[in-house]
Amino acid sequence: MLNVEGLVKQYGDFVAVDNASFNADAGSVFGLLGPNGAGKSTAIKCISGLLVPTAGRITVSGHDIVKDGKAARQSLGVVPQELALYEDLPAVDNLRYWGKAYGLRGKALEDRVADVLGYIGLADRAKDLPKEFSGGMQRRLNFGCGIVHKPKLLLLDEPTVGIDPQSRAKLFDLVEAERDAGACVLYTTHYMEEAERLCDSLAILDHGKIIAKGTVAELKSQLGARDALQLSGSFPVDTTKAAIASLMSSITDLEILSQDEATLMLTLSQASHHLPSIFSALSGAGGSVSETSLRSPNLETLFLLLTGKELRE
Amino acid sequence: MLSFLLTSARKDLARWRQDKTALLIWLGIPFLIGGLITSMIDSGDGTPTGVLLIADQDDSLLSGFVVGAYSQDQLGELIVVEQVSVQEGELRINDGDASGFLTIPAGFQDAFLNETPVTLTLKTNPAQTILPGIIEDVTEILLDSGFYAQRLLGPEIQQIKNAASNELPDDVFVAGISVDIQNKISKVMPKLSPLLLDIVILEPPPTAPQPDMALLFLPGIILMAVLFASNSLAADYWEEREKGTLRRLASVPGVLSAFVAGKAVAALAVIGIIATITLAVGFAYHDVAWNKFVPSLLWVSCGGVGLFAWFAALQMLFPNNRAANLLTTILLFPLMMAGGSFFPLAALPEWIAGMGRLSPNGFIVDRLAGELSAASPWSIDAKSWLTQFAITLSGLALSTWRLRSGFARK
Repeated sequence: MLNVEGLVKQYGDFVAVDNASFNADAGSVFGLLGPNGAGKSTAIKCISGLLVPTAGRITVSGHDIVKDGKAARQSLGVVPQELALYEDLPAVDNLRYWGKAYGLRGKALEDRVADVLGYIGLADRAKDLPKEFSGGMQRRLNFGCGIVHKPKLLLLDEPTVGIDPQSRAKLFDLVEAERDAGACVLYTTHYMEEAERLCDSLAILDHGKIIAKGTVAELKSQLGARDALQLSGSFPVDTTKAAIASLMSSITDLEILSQDEATLMLTLSQASHHLPSIFSALSGAGGSVSETSLRSPNLETLFLLLTGKELRE
Repeated sequence: MLSFLLTSARKDLARWRQDKTALLIWLGIPFLIGGLITSMIDSGDGTPTGVLLIADQDDSLLSGFVVGAYSQDQLGELIVVEQVSVQEGELRINDGDASGFLTIPAGFQDAFLNETPVTLTLKTNPAQTILPGIIEDVTEILLDSGFYAQRLLGPEIQQIKNAASNELPDDVFVAGISVDIQNKISKVMPKLSPLLLDIVILEPPPTAPQPDMALLFLPGIILMAVLFASNSLAADYWEEREKGTLRRLASVPGVLSAFVAGKAVAALAVIGIIATITLAVGFAYHDVAWNKFVPSLLWVSCGGVGLFAWFAALQMLFPNNRAANLLTTILLFPLMMAGGSFFPLAALPEWIAGMGRLSPNGFIVDRLAGELSAASPWSIDAKSWLTQFAITLSGLALSTWRLRSGFARK
């Protein structure tokens, strides 16, 4: 359904997306996971035809988004990160308008609008103005406007930013329903829980580059069973490094992810069992620990392992 | 394409309809200015009038002639005579409530007929200059005329006085006295006005009919409303961009042209309403022939869409909404100044009016003024219509290009 090959988007010297390639199939959710500024939204804009790629090729249902943009975009539904609604038009008219923009007419349009209103839980508020809605309701209507024409490829750019947990859960249900109905969903987020819950496969972006991709299970397997251990306090750089190195003979998969005088990040399996020996070694090296954070293997720790920094930094 | 165009137009009309204040402002400002201009121009015919208070203490036939003399012919258009008591007259002239106060004392008629001295008192208002002067001059002429009349027709006047104090004079008396007066006048006329010159009465040269000044302002005032509306409506592109709806639309294939055309249709409807109201009021007030209404309405409405299209294209060239709004609003005033909204083009020196006609609104104002003053409707020529369509289409094309070239995608 969606094929991205060697996508590059450059603004002067700044490379927003750097040689990204991935595929997404119909009936699946593909996630683009990465921190703010990683290049997710730029990639979405290139796929939706809003930006012309500097290099690379994007096809949607076999149509090149640049050379055959009209046909390619006919299959697209876009739910932008910011709300894109006519707040002074009733909800039902918003849906009608976007349905007509994609060529729906007459009874087909009215039936589909009624379905979507029920689907997004706004059937009883159809004639109300979106400016009177809560943030979550506006998000749902924003989603509805993106799917009213039954797109084959649905692009969701961080759709859950700034909404309450209840509306977020409702939105997840809507995304899954679209997938189950056969749509290909491209979902960008910087929340690893969302990616883990929704995505069948995903790519992790950092500084415009894909640093890992695969199914969630495949990506987790890259971590093995290693935990991420973050220590805060005071750590003299040279002596701490030597102390950790001395521990590596007894803890075989111990690895330093990042280190400075205030923070030390380690990865190792069964970290909780090794805490006493680590604390002892650090104390012997002249360091002191004021705070400890232990995380079991997940996408966030993978990101940490791959980039040495937090996903939400 | 057509279906989405109409949907887009309906969408904009539904949104704009909620902003009733804007419509009131677009109509209110020109109506206010137009009302002020019209009331200034139409407040009278330019001839000042003065009030002459007369206290007639004699209440005689002759004093009645004097009072009546101020109301004769053209003098009556200048001076309004009010008969008052001496006290009231003194009070009002001292308050500056009249141009002059004339007191005719009791015994005026007898003194006149008996050729004994009598004093008429005329007080004038020092706060006024022209009208009191006229009243003074007229009074002097009246007194001079009275002196000569007394010299010439003293016996006849005495007879009339005597007759008026008795029963109504019979026809024989009236006929006799008339013949006597006519004979005396016939005798003295050659001496009073010897015909030293042959008088040739020339017809005044034909002059062009003076245009109705308030009507000259009408096209400019209507265009003022249209300019305000078209500039405000054009700002909707920026509003849609800030809502994010333009970006969403940009990802929909093949709809941007219909979207622009839809906005133009919606603008046509709004400007049409404004033009209908302003023209209807103007036609009714100035008594313009109603068969010129439809061509005037079409001309103004289509012209308004052209202005809307160009304002939109211009606004989309600016880097942000605030700059776009500020600069096009600033542009409105020189446009109105040049285009005849503040001063009618017909009242400006030709070289300034010529430049004004080259402004987009001046072009519309000039042809509309021609239509309103023409002998028959549909006087705007085909070349002007084509020019206006070309201006409108080029503005819409530029707007579409600007949307496609990145404005909609940001």
